[in-house]
Amino acid sequence: MLEARELTKTYSSVPAVGNVTFTLGPGQVLGCLGPNGSGKSTTVKMLTGLLEPTRGSVLFAGQDIREDLVSYRKCLGYVPEEANLYPYLSGYEYLELVGLLRGMPPLRIKKRAEALLELFSLYPSRHGGMSSYSKGMRQRILLISALIDDPKILILDEPLSGLDVTSALILKNLIKALGQKERAVFYCSHVLEVVEQVCSHLLILRKGEVIAHDATHVIQSDRSSLESRFMDLVEAGDTEKIARDIICAMGEA
Amino acid sequence: MIFPFATLEAKWKSHSQRPFLQLIKLFIDRAFHGSGDSESEELDFGTGLVLSLLALPGAFYSILLFDKYGSFLQWMHGDKHFDVLSIALSDEYFLIVLSMVVTGVAVVWRCDSIFPDRRDYANLVPLPISTRTIFFANLTAIFLVAGLLALDVNLVSAFLFPFVATASQETALFFLHFAMVHAAVVVLSSLFSFFAVFGVVGLLMSILPYRMFRQVSLYLRGLLIAYLVGVLCTSFAVPSLVGHLPKSPVRFLPSVWFLGLCQMLRGRASPALAILGNLGLMSLICLVGCALVAYAVSYRRCFNRIPENLDLIASNERPIARRIFASLDRIVLRTPVQRAGYRFVLKTLFRSERHSLVLGGFVGLGVVLASQFLFAAFSGQEMSVNAGSPAILSIPLILSYCVIVGLRFAFAIPVELRSNWIFKLLLDRSKPECIPLARKVLLTFVIPCVIAGIVPFHRYLGGWTRAALHAWVVIAWGILLSDILLVRFRKIPFTCSYPPFRESAIMLVVCYFLGFFAYVVLTSQFESWALLNPLRMLLMIPPTLGIWYGLSHARTGMVEVDKEVIFEEKPTRGFEVLDLQV
Repeated sequence: MLEARELTKTYSSVPAVGNVTFTLGPGQVLGCLGPNGSGKSTTVKMLTGLLEPTRGSVLFAGQDIREDLVSYRKCLGYVPEEANLYPYLSGYEYLELVGLLRGMPPLRIKKRAEALLELFSLYPSRHGGMSSYSKGMRQRILLISALIDDPKILILDEPLSGLDVTSALILKNLIKALGQKERAVFYCSHVLEVVEQVCSHLLILRKGEVIAHDATHVIQSDRSSLESRFMDLVEAGDTEKIARDIICAMGEA
Repeated sequence: MIFPFATLEAKWKSHSQRPFLQLIKLFIDRAFHGSGDSESEELDFGTGLVLSLLALPGAFYSILLFDKYGSFLQWMHGDKHFDVLSIALSDEYFLIVLSMVVTGVAVVWRCDSIFPDRRDYANLVPLPISTRTIFFANLTAIFLVAGLLALDVNLVSAFLFPFVATASQETALFFLHFAMVHAAVVVLSSLFSFFAVFGVVGLLMSILPYRMFRQVSLYLRGLLIAYLVGVLCTSFAVPSLVGHLPKSPVRFLPSVWFLGLCQMLRGRASPALAILGNLGLMSLICLVGCALVAYAVSYRRCFNRIPENLDLIASNERPIARRIFASLDRIVLRTPVQRAGYRFVLKTLFRSERHSLVLGGFVGLGVVLASQFLFAAFSGQEMSVNAGSPAILSIPLILSYCVIVGLRFAFAIPVELRSNWIFKLLLDRSKPECIPLARKVLLTFVIPCVIAGIVPFHRYLGGWTRAALHAWVVIAWGILLSDILLVRFRKIPFTCSYPPFRESAIMLVVCYFLGFFAYVVLTSQFESWALLNPLRMLLMIPPTLGIWYGLSHARTGMVEVDKEVIFEEKPTRGFEVLDLQV
């Protein structure tokens, strides 16, 4: 369904992402992992078409997304890393804006928005200005706006950020259910436990390059947890020693 | 032996690093650069240009006076004993009003940046600084900003006006006395205006619940701007009424109190003016005290309770609004992007304080100018006599000009640029939807008002033909003005960073003035002449078609890439490539 072919992005000749290649089929939930600065956000922006790759391409159903970006985005739901929303609109008005921009009929927007607001426990505050929303409420609005048009592909960048325990559990189950519903989900996160639970496949990036891409159980291999395998792969160093060094540095003059 | 300056410098260096002074610097910077955390979201001209723009009106007016006082000199050739103080009275009054208006508008505009807000709370309270230190630092910064504004607004005129007005006098002492009195009075009037606006806002902040204050604040600031613009526009009439004191109602105007103070310091005040002069001085002292108390109470109530307060809540969409939007969807808004954009623009425009203030300012200016034309048209005459006069015909043109220009100006003020990702993601950039959307917003503000206002009014005054012709002219001119202002427009309103105002601010003001002259003055005079014989109206068609053809030619001549939707954000560069290799 979605294929990234040798995606490369350089900023003023400094490489941010190099030769990232992977495929994401229907029903797959692909978890994208990597330390800070590994190129996850740049990859996500190229997948959504917000950023043009320096080299390489993103193919959707075999066609380069640049050839018909509008049709591609019609099939795409996206939750960005930060919940930046217009403060002068209410939650419902924002969903209406997204629905209209997606070309949905007003009646369908109303029905879907109200149903999803109810399910995400936002119905009572749907007419409140989003400037008064908590971080979790804003995150839930973003999730609804990504789901409102029932997209074939979902790109979620840190979707659990700010969510309470219940909402996080709902989302985890929702991602699994979306996978079963033959939707393709690209899931970026730092929370390894969640990735381990919900993702069928993993893509691990380090310094802009793919260092592992396979089914989750294959990458985990004989290790007891994804965390220890991840630490090996990204060569994070001795984290306990770094913690001790920080304590020492705090005590110095 | 140690050089004393080096010691002083070292002392100042260590002193200036103290938290209190750093806080003062932070608050002063905020007053000029705004409080937005997004780099391009605030209209940031830079301190230098802001100060220059604030000093410009007084300087400009003083320069215009060269001609007036020069003519006097020619006329009074050989006579050195004419009374400069009497002649300069009206200009003195205008400069007092101007300094009050410029200062007042600046405070209304920057009010949010002067008071500490949620961001200050989040950044400063976790630091090991007491809230009392934050309070005193903010208070000191407010006083410094007040002083700086008062000096800056009057800096050029305080020198130029006395120089121009006393050029015919032989003694330097006369010039010095005149200049000192003038400078003292305009600076005090500026301070009065600053603390009056500041005090009123502070008072409401301290007595109203936070949410109600946020709702009232917008209307209050709109009223303050309308009052200030009104005082400015009527200032030419006031000096002639000063002679009727103490019975004249102008005794209630603070600007007249400061005129009284000026005359008192020059030893030229009548008893009534002297009383008003003393009143001005006393009221300034009281006002500073009251503003301080109001500020202290509001600080205690609002700043310390920021975590408990929520921002303004958007209201539920009313059924009538839903019906209006549905009708517009059927008749005017053809595409989903236009429907989405129209709702976004209207809701943001009326809920964002900054945008409402800008639009309110332009509409207020339009109302004041229109009312002056209306008074001029009807003064002492029967309605029907002046019905076709340029003054009457110009009223809808003035209002439509101010609304269209105000909206176009407001479109350039961004809202939460970081939230633009949704438009970037879902908008087809190659489809030219921006101009139709913006034009529809502009015209839905103007055309219904023209039809509802002009047609019945002119039907009553001069019959159906006149009403229809006049409405046609205003609508046609409104469409053309919208198209001219949107000729290179390729953004969704409020979603772009500011255009480079710094380079073009003065040119823009000059263009607006010239545009007003062509749109209002020339058109209304032509129309007045043409309405005597309606066939003459046909003469309007060639220039209208000419402008329309020119605009469409300019648009079709644009290359495709220049028609694409832009967001004009300057990316913040995380790193810099130095390219040091040879």
